[in-house]
Amino acid sequence: MSLISLQTDVPRRRRRSHVASGRQGRGGAVLLAPYVVLLVVAGIIPAGYAIEQSFVARSGSGFGGFSAYTTATTEFQFASSFAHIGLVLAVWLPFMVVGVVGLALLLHGRRNRLVGVYRFIYYLPGALAGMGNFVLWLFLLDPTDSPIRPILSWLGYQTIDQTVEPSHLPVILAFMLFFQGAGTWILIIYGGLNSIPDELGEAAQVDGATPWQVMRSIKLPLIRPWVAYLVLLNIAYASQLFLEPEVLGLATEGLISPQWTPNQLSYTFAFQIFDVPAAAAISVILLLISLVIGVVITTKSGLFSTRD
Amino acid sequence: MTAASINATPTREGKRLGQRVREMGPMAFLTIVALIYLFVMVTFLLASLRTQQSLIHQGAFGSMSLTHLRYDWDQLKGFSDGIYFDWLKNSTIVSFAGAVLAVIVAIPAGYALAMLHFRGRRVLLFLTILTMVMPNTVLVIPLFLEVSAIHQINHLWPVAVIFAFFPFGTYLAFIHYKTSLPYEMLEAGRIDGFSEMGLFFKIATPLAKQAVALVFFFAFVADWTSYFLPLVMLPSSNVQTVSVGLQQLITSSQLYNASAAAGLNVRLYTSELSFAAILQMAPVLVVFIGAQRYLTRGTLLGAVKG
Repeated sequence: MSLISLQTDVPRRRRRSHVASGRQGRGGAVLLAPYVVLLVVAGIIPAGYAIEQSFVARSGSGFGGFSAYTTATTEFQFASSFAHIGLVLAVWLPFMVVGVVGLALLLHGRRNRLVGVYRFIYYLPGALAGMGNFVLWLFLLDPTDSPIRPILSWLGYQTIDQTVEPSHLPVILAFMLFFQGAGTWILIIYGGLNSIPDELGEAAQVDGATPWQVMRSIKLPLIRPWVAYLVLLNIAYASQLFLEPEVLGLATEGLISPQWTPNQLSYTFAFQIFDVPAAAAISVILLLISLVIGVVITTKSGLFSTRD
Repeated sequence: MTAASINATPTREGKRLGQRVREMGPMAFLTIVALIYLFVMVTFLLASLRTQQSLIHQGAFGSMSLTHLRYDWDQLKGFSDGIYFDWLKNSTIVSFAGAVLAVIVAIPAGYALAMLHFRGRRVLLFLTILTMVMPNTVLVIPLFLEVSAIHQINHLWPVAVIFAFFPFGTYLAFIHYKTSLPYEMLEAGRIDGFSEMGLFFKIATPLAKQAVALVFFFAFVADWTSYFLPLVMLPSSNVQTVSVGLQQLITSSQLYNASAAAGLNVRLYTSELSFAAILQMAPVLVVFIGAQRYLTRGTLLGAVKG
C-alpha cells in the first residue's frame, strides 16, 4: 500500500461519511446483525474459548500456565504429525501446482468444444467430495477387486495393507487430494487466465512469439497471484488433514497411526485421553498457523481488496 | 515469391489444418487425463451393479445387472434396521437448514458490505476474507468445547447454526452486488424516499437470484460433505450424518474389518459400499445440476475457494 493511495483515500471517505453514514450505518447494522452474531458464535467465541481452555490445568480447573502446551508438544507423536504434513506437502504441492496450472493453461484459449466437457469432468470429483470420494479410493487401492489391479500387482501389492503402508501415505494422499481438489482449482486458475486481456497474447503472437513463449513469458507471470493463493491455501489445508488418514487407518485396522496428523492428535487428546487443555493447545497452534497464512493471503496476494 | 510460399499462405483450410495439428498434442493429453477421471468414476459407479465375485475375477468391466441394485438395497436396509436412511435424513436436515440459513445471512451481509458505507465495514470485510481462506476444520475441536459447555452435543441444531456461518457465501454476495448493482440505482431509490430496508428488499433482493443459487450450492456441498464437525458434534449413531455413517459402513464391512463384520447379518462388500456412496452423492449431484447454469457463467468463479 503506497502513501499516495492512503492520502487520496482519506478525504474521499470522510466526505461520504458526512453525507450518509448515520442512515446507512443503521441500515447496515440491521442487515449485518445475523452475520456478525454467527461470526462471533461460530468463530470468535470458540477460538477464544480454546485459547482459555489451553491455559487450564490438566486437572480441569485452575490456571495451568503453559503446561498444556508442554504436554502437547512433548508428546512423541507431536513432531512426527507435523513431519507427516511436511512429507505430504513435499509430494502433493509440486504435483498440485504443476498439474493444476498445466491443465488450466492447456485448457485455456482453446477453441475446441471438448474443453468445456473436460473442465466439467475434472470438476466432478470435487463436487462429489468427502466420504463418497473416499470409498472410491478404497475401491481403487484394494488389490482384491480394484479396477487398476494390473497396475497394483505390477507394483507388487496383493492386499490393501501392502498398498496403504504408512510410507506410501504421502503419495497416496497426494493422488487423493489432487483427484478431488484439482478440478476446482483449475476453474480458479482458469478464471485468473480469463482476466488477462486477449490483446496481450495476440500482440505477442503477431510479433512472432510461439504459443509456448506466450505461455511462459506472459500468462504465467500474470497469474502468479492465483498460483500463490493455490500454494498458500493448500498449505493451510494440508496442516488440517484429518479425514483421509483417519479413515484409512480405520479401514486397515490400525495400520496407520491414529495420530498421524496434528488434527488427529488433537482429536485423540480430546476424546481418548480426555486431556482437553492439550487438545485445545494443539487447536490453538493450528489456528495460529492458518491465521498467519490467512493474513498473508488476504493482505499480500492482491486477489482480495477491501477498498472501493 | 516462390511456389512454396504461395502454397503455404493463402487458403483458410491450410491455416486451419496447421492449427489443428498444433492442437493435437495438448488435446490428446487433456483427453487422456479426462479418460482416466472417467474410468475411475465409471468403474466405481458400475461396481454397484456387480457381484463381489465378478469384481474379483472379471476385471474392470465384468458382468453387471440392474437387478443387483435390489440386492444392494436389501443389504443396506438390513444394516442396523436401515439406519443408513436415518443418516441420509439427518444429513438432509442439517445441510438444507445450514444452506438456507447461510443464504439468508449472507445475502444481506454481502449487500451491506458492498453497497453501504459505515464504520467498521473494512474490518468486517477483512474478517470475512480471513475466515473464508482459513480451513474450517481448524475450529472443530474449539467448537466442540463450546457446544459441550452448553450441553448440546448430539443435537442437530448447533451443527446447522455452525454451517450457517459461511463467510465464503458472504464474500460471493459481496462480489455479486459490487459487480451487478449500480450505486446510482440506490441513490435514486433514496431520493424517492425508500428506507435502507426498503432499498434492500425492493431493489437488491430481486437482483439476488444468481448469488442465492451460488451461495446455496457451495454451502450445501460443504455441509453435506463435512466430516470432522459432525463426527465430534453428533457421536450417537442415531443422530449421525451420512458422511460419518458411510465411514461406519466401511469399518463394518467384511472387506476392511473381518473380525467386527463376523457378527454382521448383511453383506457389505464393494458393490454395497458403492451403492451407499451413490446414495450419498446423489443429493449433491441434484443440487449441482440445478446450480450448473449459474456456475458456468463464472463471473464469480475467479474468486472461488477450493
